[in-house]
Amino acid sequence: MATLKVDDVTLSFGGLNALFGVSLDVQPGLITSIIGPNGAGKTSLLNCVSGFYHPTSGDIYYGDHKLNKASPHQVSIMGIARAFQNIELFSGMTVLDNLMLARHKNLHYGLLAAMVFFGKASQEESQNRQYVEEVIDFMELEPYRKQTVGNLSYGIQKRVEVARALTLAPQLLLLDEPMAGMNIAEKEDMVRFIIDIQKERDATVVLVEHDLGVVMDISDRIYVLDFGELIGAGSPDEVVKIPKVIEAYIGEE
Amino acid sequence: MAENRWLATGNFFTSYRAEQRIFLTNIDRLVFTCFLLLLFVWPLVFEVSNKYMLVIDTILIAIVAVYGLNLLTGFAGLISIGHAAFVGVGAYTLATFARILGSDHVLLTHYWPLMILLAGGVGAVIGAIVGLPSLRLKHLYLVIATLSFQMIFQWTINFSRFYDQGQTIAIGRVFWFAGKVTRKQHYFFWYYVILLVVVVLGFAVRNLLRSKHGRCLVAVRDNDRAADAMGIHPGFTKVYAFALSGFFAGVAGALHAYLWRGVGFESFTLHHSISYLAMAIVGGLGTLVGSFFGPVAILMLELQVENIAEFVGHYFTAIGDVATAFRPLSFGLVIVLFLMFEPRGIANWWRITRTYFKLWPFRY
Repeated sequence: MATLKVDDVTLSFGGLNALFGVSLDVQPGLITSIIGPNGAGKTSLLNCVSGFYHPTSGDIYYGDHKLNKASPHQVSIMGIARAFQNIELFSGMTVLDNLMLARHKNLHYGLLAAMVFFGKASQEESQNRQYVEEVIDFMELEPYRKQTVGNLSYGIQKRVEVARALTLAPQLLLLDEPMAGMNIAEKEDMVRFIIDIQKERDATVVLVEHDLGVVMDISDRIYVLDFGELIGAGSPDEVVKIPKVIEAYIGEE
Repeated sequence: MAENRWLATGNFFTSYRAEQRIFLTNIDRLVFTCFLLLLFVWPLVFEVSNKYMLVIDTILIAIVAVYGLNLLTGFAGLISIGHAAFVGVGAYTLATFARILGSDHVLLTHYWPLMILLAGGVGAVIGAIVGLPSLRLKHLYLVIATLSFQMIFQWTINFSRFYDQGQTIAIGRVFWFAGKVTRKQHYFFWYYVILLVVVVLGFAVRNLLRSKHGRCLVAVRDNDRAADAMGIHPGFTKVYAFALSGFFAGVAGALHAYLWRGVGFESFTLHHSISYLAMAIVGGLGTLVGSFFGPVAILMLELQVENIAEFVGHYFTAIGDVATAFRPLSFGLVIVLFLMFEPRGIANWWRITRTYFKLWPFRY
């Protein structure tokens, strides 16, 4: 599995630096968390990695691929999947179709084959459906399979969002606040899913999250951002001792 | 467990492939087959006048055109008010051949299925070109871009000598296995041809919608950012949606040219574009059945309103003008009422009816 390497990335909008000289490594197979106060640039960093923004300077490497100028669909084909902070599902489609859509790159039949829908098209659809069903099973979404996503509750939609990213069969999964706005029980479920994703599906997880309890419990490595700059890095135990981090979170006396 | 394929109750799927089917129960398929047979048989049983057959043929052609518009506007979410121009592109493809080779050239009269496909192809190419602004523009701005294509099309036809400044360019009568299609057979012959096209393309659309090529359209409509992150090129998908829509419109245009045995610019004006959009809305955007209901409803309404206006005009000659205004008035009223009270269109009534019968007689 490849390492994600962010090297001295700066992202500016006009005079405003959303990210300034950020460097970090995401080691394969681990859960890496990025934390920081609101507006620290966490989501901007994820946007740079997944191709929605292109860094003003600096480089992003995933294995041997350089991601600086890659667009989101190219990034997703390299095996990097993204779950969004604000739910960005296809609200008019069923859960099943949302997940089948993530199999887009694995379906190879042409337009004519699709119009006839016989042989290859039908076969590939059912093979990929098999994969989708595995994910549905994994994320415990069975009761909602045929329901329109727009009608589901917030917690379930969040879960579908993660499931859809997972259906891309990613090696690197970027989760942007998967637990925002959830109650304790739902959070516990989600934490269990994230750990299972890492352990059972052998994916590297990058987690952006505000709930420090969760982050400290499950992360292997933490990076702390504040005002677009990296102010601390290390294991959970190390990070809580860094004075700048304490300052950013608790404030000075 | 014994499988029951006839009713929705007890119809268990044992493979994913079984669940892909269009008709989930045998009753569905049987009813549909009977309906289809009926469509093919009824003109042989009943005596229908040419005039009425023309109305039905026109509706069927509109269905083909609305397939395309529904894919573009309903499924891909790209509103187009230049659809009649795309239909015109198909028709004028034939007109171009007629002008260069003569209206009775063997290509037009003998190889007409090829010409219909070609018109579709030209429609698709022009559609893709007109769709290019969708790479940058969204929503209302894109609508204006399609409107400008409508205007460009009208002006090009109106001011080019080659197309006789929009006056009717004749297309010859076609031949088939039994020789030339005569004046008497004309509308019946084209009824069957167009019906066949409607059925084949209908199944094509239905299949498309359960495949990746249909899903990506809906994905781009619902959330093109997320679609991008899922490995779909949103720009390409939008242009492809325009091309697809152009293909259907082109085919409809070629059929129109053959049916009317001529191509004139006044069949492809802005009014017709809005008419197509109204058909898609009234039928139900984003549904396949909507493409059938819409054209039938709107064209039947126009016909009936005309009859009523004529009837009223006989008795109250003083308000003859009012009766004339009745047609656009009722047309607008229907669209507004649908948008207000049934934005999901007639297709929603169909869905409700179907759900009722699915559960009947065992309602929970």
